[in-house]
Amino acid sequence: MDFLRPQTWPEALARKAERPAAVPIAGGTDVMVEVNFDRRRPEALLDLTRIPELTGWERDERAIRIGANVTYTRVIEELGAELPGLAMASRTVGSPQIRNRGTIAGNLGAASPAGDAHPILLALGASVEAESVRGTRLIPAVEFYVGVKRHSLAPDELIRAVHVPLSPGPQQFSKIGTRNAMVIAVCSFALALDVPARRVGTGIGSAAPTPRRAVAAEDYVSGALPWESRDPIPDGVGARFGELVAQTASPIDDVRGSAAYRRHALAVLARRNLAWAWKEYQCA
Amino acid sequence: MTAVAENTEVGRARLRKEDARLLTGRTRWTDNIAVPGMLHMAILRSPHAHARINSVDVSAAAAAPNVVAAFCGKDVAETQGVLACAWPVTEDIVMPTYLPLAVTEVRHVGEPVAVVVARDRASAVDALQLIEVDYDPLPVVLDIEAALAEGSPLVHEDKGTNKCYTWVFDSAAAGSGGDVAGVVADAEITIKRRYVQQRLIPSFMEPRSVIVEPAAGEGGSWTVYSATQIPHILRFLLAATTGTPEHKIRVIAPDVGGGFGGKLAVTPEEWIAFAAANRVGRPVKYTETRSEAMVSAHHGRDVIQDLTLYAKRDGTVTGLDVKLLANMGAYLGIVTPGVPLLGAFMYNGIYKFPAYRFECTGVFTTTTKTDAYRGAGRPEATYAIERIMDELAAEVGIDPMEVRRRNWIRHEEFPFGTVAGLTYDSGNYEAATDKAMQLLGYDELRAEQAARRESNDPKQLGIGISTYTEMCGLAPSRVLGALRYGAGGWESASVRVLPTGKVEVVTGSSPHGQGHVTSWSQIVADQLGVPFDDVEVLHGDTRTSHKGLDTYGSRSLAVGGIALVMASQKVREKARVIAAHMLECSPDDVEFADGAFRVKGSPEASKTIADCALAVFAAHNLPDGVEPTLDSEATFDPEGFSFPHGTHLCAIEVDTETGEVAIRQYVCVDDVGRVVNPLIVEGQVHGGVAQGIAQALYEEAVYDAEGNLLTSSFADYTLPSSADLPDIVSDRTETPATSNPLGVKGVGEAGTIAATPAVVNAIVDALRPFGVIDVQMPCTPERVWRALKEVIA
Repeated sequence: MDFLRPQTWPEALARKAERPAAVPIAGGTDVMVEVNFDRRRPEALLDLTRIPELTGWERDERAIRIGANVTYTRVIEELGAELPGLAMASRTVGSPQIRNRGTIAGNLGAASPAGDAHPILLALGASVEAESVRGTRLIPAVEFYVGVKRHSLAPDELIRAVHVPLSPGPQQFSKIGTRNAMVIAVCSFALALDVPARRVGTGIGSAAPTPRRAVAAEDYVSGALPWESRDPIPDGVGARFGELVAQTASPIDDVRGSAAYRRHALAVLARRNLAWAWKEYQCA
Repeated sequence: MTAVAENTEVGRARLRKEDARLLTGRTRWTDNIAVPGMLHMAILRSPHAHARINSVDVSAAAAAPNVVAAFCGKDVAETQGVLACAWPVTEDIVMPTYLPLAVTEVRHVGEPVAVVVARDRASAVDALQLIEVDYDPLPVVLDIEAALAEGSPLVHEDKGTNKCYTWVFDSAAAGSGGDVAGVVADAEITIKRRYVQQRLIPSFMEPRSVIVEPAAGEGGSWTVYSATQIPHILRFLLAATTGTPEHKIRVIAPDVGGGFGGKLAVTPEEWIAFAAANRVGRPVKYTETRSEAMVSAHHGRDVIQDLTLYAKRDGTVTGLDVKLLANMGAYLGIVTPGVPLLGAFMYNGIYKFPAYRFECTGVFTTTTKTDAYRGAGRPEATYAIERIMDELAAEVGIDPMEVRRRNWIRHEEFPFGTVAGLTYDSGNYEAATDKAMQLLGYDELRAEQAARRESNDPKQLGIGISTYTEMCGLAPSRVLGALRYGAGGWESASVRVLPTGKVEVVTGSSPHGQGHVTSWSQIVADQLGVPFDDVEVLHGDTRTSHKGLDTYGSRSLAVGGIALVMASQKVREKARVIAAHMLECSPDDVEFADGAFRVKGSPEASKTIADCALAVFAAHNLPDGVEPTLDSEATFDPEGFSFPHGTHLCAIEVDTETGEVAIRQYVCVDDVGRVVNPLIVEGQVHGGVAQGIAQALYEEAVYDAEGNLLTSSFADYTLPSSADLPDIVSDRTETPATSNPLGVKGVGEAGTIAATPAVVNAIVDALRPFGVIDVQMPCTPERVWRALKEVIA
């Protein structure tokens, strides 16, 4: 196995173009698990930790651009106020040690249906900045995940950054696991209220081959909420929203949980997240 | 022998002497040790739960870079020895041959099939992939009830059955009570329940590791380093099963990072390393990965319990019938068949009732063998009786604590001969319970529970009770003999006073994290009047500690600690003679207090143990006939068990929508008798409770239909982290054991035994108004949700 350690971003892109099979590695919290268990023997690892361009984040009026090497811990500590949903999801990742090394971009690169960052990225309409020697493009999160642990990056592309819109409204994330931390979620759900647009965004994790939005549920609830009056959520709306979310999922039975339970729990999580977010909106 | 009277060290919360090196890891873990010329071994394991081995071709592996040797079971069939089971519980028990390396058949996933020995570990691991094994898969046997059915595929074809044994205890036959059949007709209440103890994995922190240095030529000797709980038993069995002379084998258990019973084992890996070292004539090291530990080291529990409880309408228990099916796995480990027997005498718990019958059938399956895991038999018993006492309370319509009060042994009734034939020497269940209820705020919580039920709160509150007892101090050798166990239950200690007055203690009880060095120092400091820091404790090396039966079953203090007191007293009595000689008086006129011998009535002249040690060293002026040593050795064989007890209570919130549970409060009041070091006791209780909660809520070894272990890493075998555990409020009552001179009982397993039923009782208590009477462990959110869904639908 070759270990490639580019010092600059152009060099990294050149290496990836030369050796498309090289697996990018930053925190190593996913890749090294696979390597250690001998589930994967990449012909080369492309170490991105030396590249200064990836270590920062920056803000414009509409979004925050998070460099590929920004860790969960930094998201929690530096971006918690502006990206509360992403910070909530980051807090549930692994352990403090994992959060100190793991990155949002790494979560995207692994593209596991259970990745904790995905649901809120979907709910907020985030996009992935992919770059290669051929140029740069922005991939909307909803188009990024294409299958179990598969994403839509071209073989020569690397993730440069994640663009997360600054959403003017409450955000929530919750998950159910077989223990509190250090466990793959049984199912997870994120929700964001885009107040100016009168729109609810959603993201479902661990309950389908890819993370996915619950579009029908979004359409329904966005129209059913009393945005202007800020009245309590009308009776039955939360439950219906939960049902629609659960219908969108296509979970499987595995050692962590059954499909039936995942569907049920998603409905409960969706209803509760909506209630919490709406309460925050009412008080704002 | 008299109890230790005035003391200063026993009872002090001393920080552990061993922690600095253990916690930093800068110590002699087996894998940290390198011996000259050492090679590394890797093991190829069966991917099949059951298969015939047609052929094994190691030639490509043997030719791989850095590889020194590669071989399979057939290559060492004559010399590798066998793994022994020390507890043939019945005369007609089925005992299959247990080979370290499989030769013709594999019977569980992970069974060793071939090995590579190489100059470095990575080369050995890589070369495993070059070994070709031709298997013919055979039918798997996974379900223990199906395994007993007519026509089931067999784990051991030559045995003609999957049944290992059936062992029965009947109080009428034993003379300790009546006949259960006799109480059936008069029973006003009959409660039948099935409880399932899921399979657990011991999860010691340090994976197992072994180094074997073979004899260098004729007349040479072997040194075996192993991360084991039982160096002495390992040495004995290695000698007995490989024909190697015992006096030529030195076994060293260096610092050992936990065991929980998982290292109360002689393992295929140790025997294979022994065979490998002999084959290549050089030292060989093997250290397992975590996943290898999970598929290969023995598992625990995995028992189906069918109980029938008979009682009167007022809640008085009249009889108990227990039928167990215990999963042995594919082979018998050192005490596999006996684990249920350690629980057999405890299903009556702290209660008195007239009739009891117990029957256990051991069953072979194509899974990793089971064996001792923290509590070994007693958690199962305590779980069953404490769960079903709650069912009785519900049936009678009284508070579950009240039903316990109506049945338990009152403190003035000790010593008490139980229906299971044991004599409980001491206890005070009332005191521990009262204290625990106060600490929890039992009555307030019951009021809150009622309010939540009234308001249909989606989060319901449950209160869980576990009033447990267990037996420690394993074990009186005569009792073990009567139960057909292959060894005794004594323990040994020796004390050596050095010329400068410092003391070396050798213990036969080999620790793996319990803090023996600290506790033993405290005991000796009091016995000999020397400073705590002046005592060194040596252990775990058969060359320095030639005699011992090691550490398991909460025995170290209650058996080994007593041997240490006896050895210390021998030294003190000899020192008294020497001190009297120096003080020019009769030994009878010398008293020992505050670390010195003084002539009664003239306290100004004194001699310490150190003075005596120096006098012995010089030997210029000793009394006639006194040997110039200040050393002693003692071996203690207990006459009875000790019986720790206590009351554990917890309050749990159950989310009836998601099934999630959250332990809001956990209170335990344990009575472990006299406490040598409260800090160590507290640590044992916390760790034990954590492991008990883990069985209730988190841990389960799961096999798929082909017999693959699905939970073979900590990502899927979910040990709780600190984030999953509640604050534990721990307190004690202290009713000294009368079965030993220190008054100690043992605390290594109490928390694990007590906690599991407390937690599950709380969950069921929360959901009882819905009609839930059981949730299968581990009570994951999904299981809780399903239990609710079944009764509501």
